Amino acid sequence: MRSTAFVLVPLLLAALWSEAVPHFGTGSGQAAPTPLETLGRYLFFDTRLSGDGSLSCASCHQPEYAFAGSDALSAAYPGSDGFRNTPSLIRVGARGSYFADGRLPASDLETAVRDAITETHFMNLDGRLMQERLKQVPRYVELFQEAFGEATAEGAGAAAEPTFGRTLAAVAAFVKTLDYGRSPYESGTMSEAAVRGEALFRGKAGCTSCHVGPAFSDNRAHVTDVPESEALFAEPLRHATYRAFIKAMGVPNYMTVRRDVGRYTVTKNEADRGAFVTPTLVGARHTPPYMHNGVLETLNDVVDFYDRVGGGVGSPGGNGGARAQDARSPLGLTQAEKQDLVAFLEALSGDMPVVERPELPRYEVIRNWNTTDN
Amino acid sequence: MPRRIPIRFSTRISEMRIPKKCTPFLPVLAGAVLLIALTTNDRLVPLGPPPIPPDNPQAVDEDGFPLASDPKVELGRILFFDNRLSGNASISCADCHSVDFGWTDGSDLCRGYTGTSHWRNCQTLINSAYYDKLFWDGSSKSLEAQAASAAMGAVSGNGERDMMEERLRQVPEYVTRFRDVFGTTWPNLGDAWRAIAAFERTLTQTNTPYDRYLRGDASALTDAQVAGLELFRGRAGCIACHNGPLLSDQRYHALGVPENESFEFDALRQITFRYEQYVKGVTEEQYRKTKTDLGLYYVTKREEDTGKFRTPSLRYTLYTAPFMHNGVFFTLHEVVDFYDAGGGKQKGDDGTGTPVLEPLGLSDAEKDNLVAFLESLSGEEIRMERPEMPPYGTLK
Repeated sequence: MRSTAFVLVPLLLAALWSEAVPHFGTGSGQAAPTPLETLGRYLFFDTRLSGDGSLSCASCHQPEYAFAGSDALSAAYPGSDGFRNTPSLIRVGARGSYFADGRLPASDLETAVRDAITETHFMNLDGRLMQERLKQVPRYVELFQEAFGEATAEGAGAAAEPTFGRTLAAVAAFVKTLDYGRSPYESGTMSEAAVRGEALFRGKAGCTSCHVGPAFSDNRAHVTDVPESEALFAEPLRHATYRAFIKAMGVPNYMTVRRDVGRYTVTKNEADRGAFVTPTLVGARHTPPYMHNGVLETLNDVVDFYDRVGGGVGSPGGNGGARAQDARSPLGLTQAEKQDLVAFLEALSGDMPVVERPELPRYEVIRNWNTTDN
Repeated sequence: MPRRIPIRFSTRISEMRIPKKCTPFLPVLAGAVLLIALTTNDRLVPLGPPPIPPDNPQAVDEDGFPLASDPKVELGRILFFDNRLSGNASISCADCHSVDFGWTDGSDLCRGYTGTSHWRNCQTLINSAYYDKLFWDGSSKSLEAQAASAAMGAVSGNGERDMMEERLRQVPEYVTRFRDVFGTTWPNLGDAWRAIAAFERTLTQTNTPYDRYLRGDASALTDAQVAGLELFRGRAGCIACHNGPLLSDQRYHALGVPENESFEFDALRQITFRYEQYVKGVTEEQYRKTKTDLGLYYVTKREEDTGKFRTPSLRYTLYTAPFMHNGVFFTLHEVVDFYDAGGGKQKGDDGTGTPVLEPLGLSDAEKDNLVAFLESLSGEEIRMERPEMPPYGTLK
């Protein structure tokens, strides 16, 4: 009875999901992309959305790595360097918040896109310059018109030229289409090892104290004492970039910080120092390395880590529901149990979406420049 | 720029010593020169030391000229060449103000940041210390502000404040130098602009043939140059705007300079042209319709300032071609031809203002003399080696 529910509920959710969100290239039964999503796909791969034209969204959120990166710490805009692991964008709509410190609410993906395009260590582009670049690409002018033009009684659309806001909306719309194929967990085809692993996951290992719900995340920040990245403060450019970030976020005494302060960046609550938002486990098989700073290379390493430090984690900052940190103790998992747990984690991942990189439309000179309205 | 009255009187007196071939009529001439000196002639004077703002002091020699050996200047010189003061750490001040091109970039329109093109001509830094405001439309009120503005503009340096500051703090040699110069624990970005400005105030040239001539060395100019000087302050009327020690009235004028045609066939320039309309805060209608650089209007938003640009100094122009705010003239001869023809289409032409330029009717020989004189406004080329860049280090 109980195991049936475990299968059926996710199945139902998966069905609702694919009903609600059309996606690119993950299999049959998907709705065709809307003009907005089509536009967003071009923009996602377009390096003109970075200040010096060197990076697109896909430079860090790489399709071949499940729209995450393969490095422990992210790449960044030239002249800076990344200080956290690039999260996957697949099923981003199921998240409760964005960024490892949860600084943006899930209801506002467009603002997360804004951050990615304009922040100095991401793509460092002035949004006004972005608008004018896109207006210089005739194909984009058409795509924006198709996506945003409102049909009138005469059938002609109102002018809907490229703007900053529309660009954010289009990229967000595309990103929301990214989905995995159905996982063994969702389709009820898990191996026996994975079934045993699920029991551990919900029982002895205590994973569900944080990894709950359809996305396997409580969307809360916890202090898990993940080891600090050795690169973050040893590599000058990463350290400088991280300082610039926490300084801009108003973290006091940022010159002396030598450990990622995590959620504290947002709340300035001492209890949140070093707390990070629980990541989803859906698709985890495709997104090594793991944790906010990528210090754990495999799912085995992740399981070993929690076996060592204790599965029940918490933040003394009163996140409610999470166990207090001092209550944590080693899990005492056997080697076989760890393998089962990993098998279950792997069973949470379906196939990666296949999204082709579009051929990007080019800038074109505006003929009759002097007689054409800007 | 603060006018320093005592200097101006002393140099005016020295100027009275310049007459050639007129010594028999010295008393008469002295009276005539004095008369002229009190009207227009007094505005041709040698260049003295640059003004130094009280909030950014620096060491000067006994004549008031900034010393290159000042640690603040040494720091500024390194920063001037440091790529890390840009968005992608690929370009420095010295890329658009290059020692190889007279401290400009040698292009008609400035190269701009990676992935962009700029839309105006880069101006030389030589003698920039004397301007009261910087940029063609005077939008910056000091060298310090100009440096910040250029480093951060999306089509110039595209640097972000916090990132640039933290890069500086990650360089142990900078930490030491900033501490020594400014007394701070960590480098502050505002101090970086101060150091760069202090360095720029050492980039002066006051020993040109023209300056030596004004100081009494009659042999400093050739006959052709003297003839050119007479045209300059006489019939050609250049002195109406190009006056004072800097040979700029530091005012703004609409001359109807022809458009730079690259806006018609260069997609990146078209992007930047629209972007500039956007960021300079014009109305929606102006954003749509504007096809020419509105100049001072962007700063004042006054109709009568449309198309006005700050009179540039004529000093050092031997090395700073091309000329004008949009670099449309590649030689000084072309510039002279433009004024000889009475300038371009000006506001006055359509009855909305007063024409300031009339055709001059200069002969070819007169134009040559005028150009010869303009060339006397430059001394030796000022060059400099790129200093070694201090590396990043780990902070304990």
